[in-house]
Amino acid sequence: MTTTVSAAGLSLRYGSTHALDDVSLRLGEGVTGLLGPNGAGKTTLLRVLATALPADSGAFTVLGHDPGTTAGRQAVRRVLGYLPQTPGFHPDFTAFEFVDYVAILKELTDRGGRHREVRRVLEEVDLSDVRGKRIKKLSGGMRQRVALAAALVGDPGFLVLDEPTVGLDPEQRMRFRELIARAGEGRTVLLSTHQTEDVAMLCHRVVVMAGGTVRFDGTPAELTARAAGRVWSGTERDPAAMAGWRTGLGAFRNVGDPPPGAELVEPTLEDGYLITLDGMAAEVAA
Amino acid sequence: MSAVLEKAPPAERADEQRRSRSAVLALALFEARKLLLRLPVLAMFVLYVAWIGWTMRDAWTTFPALQDVDRATQTGPLLPALAVLLCANQAVLRSRRQDTDRHFDVLVLEPWRRTVAFALSVVPAAGLTALLVAAQFTWGVIAPGSVGHGSVGELLVGPLTVLLAGTAGVLLARVVRSPFAAPMLLVLAFFSTLFLGAISTGSDGSATRWLVPVIGDASSKTLPSDLLGRPAVWHALYLFGLALTLALAAVLVNGGRTKTVAAALVVAVGLGTWGAVGQAAKVSKSTTDARVLATLNPAKVQSCARHGNSTYCAFPEWMPRTGTWAEVADHVQSLAGGTAAQEKLLVRQRVDARYGMDGDGAIEPSTTPYQVTVGTRWGGPRVPEFAAAVSSVLVTGSEKASGSLCDGRMVTIMWLALGWQSDPLTQLRAVRLDDSVSGSAIVLSPTNPMSMTAEQTTVVRELLTAGKVTVAPKVKAHWAELTAPKVTTAKVAELLGVKAPAGADKCV
Repeated sequence: MTTTVSAAGLSLRYGSTHALDDVSLRLGEGVTGLLGPNGAGKTTLLRVLATALPADSGAFTVLGHDPGTTAGRQAVRRVLGYLPQTPGFHPDFTAFEFVDYVAILKELTDRGGRHREVRRVLEEVDLSDVRGKRIKKLSGGMRQRVALAAALVGDPGFLVLDEPTVGLDPEQRMRFRELIARAGEGRTVLLSTHQTEDVAMLCHRVVVMAGGTVRFDGTPAELTARAAGRVWSGTERDPAAMAGWRTGLGAFRNVGDPPPGAELVEPTLEDGYLITLDGMAAEVAA
Repeated sequence: MSAVLEKAPPAERADEQRRSRSAVLALALFEARKLLLRLPVLAMFVLYVAWIGWTMRDAWTTFPALQDVDRATQTGPLLPALAVLLCANQAVLRSRRQDTDRHFDVLVLEPWRRTVAFALSVVPAAGLTALLVAAQFTWGVIAPGSVGHGSVGELLVGPLTVLLAGTAGVLLARVVRSPFAAPMLLVLAFFSTLFLGAISTGSDGSATRWLVPVIGDASSKTLPSDLLGRPAVWHALYLFGLALTLALAAVLVNGGRTKTVAAALVVAVGLGTWGAVGQAAKVSKSTTDARVLATLNPAKVQSCARHGNSTYCAFPEWMPRTGTWAEVADHVQSLAGGTAAQEKLLVRQRVDARYGMDGDGAIEPSTTPYQVTVGTRWGGPRVPEFAAAVSSVLVTGSEKASGSLCDGRMVTIMWLALGWQSDPLTQLRAVRLDDSVSGSAIVLSPTNPMSMTAEQTTVVRELLTAGKVTVAPKVKAHWAELTAPKVTTAKVAELLGVKAPAGADKCV
């Protein structure tokens, strides 16, 4: 893997809370999923990597640019596409105007070229037909795609997406996954999400965070493998299991340390994620 | 992790600077378009255009003086200025109010450069105002009989007021991040204007009077442009310096702490201060002397032209109008009889310019025989007023004598003044203070007004209704009796063949 984004020892405190605690990671081309519960530090990490927030300590580079300097920060911003969690919009702008506005703030200055680029990204997110519509008239899913178009405009090398599928219905989510998968071709995408399905379907790599630290860094298959031999089926919820629930077929699916003779079943990425979160001493894969 | 200033290679830095400047321009154009399309701004510009149409509706018939037309362009732009202030303020606050800050904060164009763009975005609104000001002034220039000279300084006040309002809105948004701040500022500005007006003495030397953008005058009279003594160019410089200062202050508080911005701010403050000091200076002695000379001894500064038997002397800017005055005087004189029909009149333009535009002073009637006073305004009621002044001098011999007139000669004066007009009754109404054609009334004139009794009005009205062809021969035939001092109105009526009113003349 060719490293495009690397961070070492990133730490950030809000008062006595460690939002980030010595976070180190390396990202390459493709979509990397960032999983973690609420308060894990995912958004803080994304904001630091997007230069929205300075870390207390540590360093990182994006496509060879170090944001620790004024010029470096500007250089990072030139290669950055950022879609914040629940992005804001200017409701009286049309979709085209909004993306054009972001393009101007990204210093795409040639008017003709900029407008072509805006049309291209709107086409990429399937919004060409509504580009002249005011944002306040668009559905939630369409707005989210406008935000993605705004992140994509200027063809950034590093795309930071903070929970982009939250609030979307299943069809919209599927559509968004397609867009993100396409966006991940030839660029580095860091995708924060609560949805393990997103990671399973999109990511070649996954980072699990909890309590401001990285608990896992590897492939989805490796995360899934963590749960191998630790998921079993039973007629009732095993009290010793760390998690258990009745499936649609009526049997109980238990995750944890199986009792002897348990009927083991094939683990999923979510099982691996649950195991990782529960095992506070889980080692961090290199 | 702290930001360190690190210099990029010069070529790369120059390229980045160029891109940033281009982005600022692109953002300014985007925001300018948005600003001009905002409903309040559009509505105020439409209102402003309507206001121009309303104020200039009579320009074609009122022979405007351009030194008045330029100042008349200054009030209207307050309408778009108001809207531009509010909308520019809202535009700057838009990102915060609509929660796009989190996203836009990580975009390349730095916040202070965005502020530069917001400040620049009000320039097209000021430019549009300049176009409308130019259109309004041009309308005055091409109006028939326009005279005088406009001042670029006065014409710039309107556009600069819009620019100042816009930059004030931008600065306010950068200092107070509340949408309520701009309306509060407007209220504050309103009361500040009242306060400044109250503490200003109204004299030329009042420094505070010129601190507000638009300066009204206590007088509505028209003066030769070189006697106005308004520090128009200084005021324009003051407004420009102030607008620039506000814009640069907004950039500075938003992080634009570069040497260029700091230097530009120093220059802007300097310009504003220079303008403020310049506009606060008292009217120069040369202007004061010129005002006194023009008031007390206008012949020294006037040019004269002969039209027919008579001579017409006017301030240089009004010389093109002497022909128009001569036409009126000739019409009046053509109706007179005796030697008055051939009398050599001296028509002299007079003003009371001693107090500039800060006070009105009545012009004393001339005591010189057969000298007629004409004012600086023309068109509308000013035409029959001048005609009445000519006819009164033809009948009584001087303006001074006309002022105390209280007999039947008033009938002859008014008939001479109005009998040649195509719609004499309308002109009678126009020349009377109460706009009536019956009863007693004051008759306006360039100097002291005259008065008509109800009986004289009745006789004049009947004569005007009878028509010029019927009455003119009788006037010429009985000229000596009609213009004899103490001739009664009844006698005049009898001589001119209309029903004589009962009773003696009773003047008010």
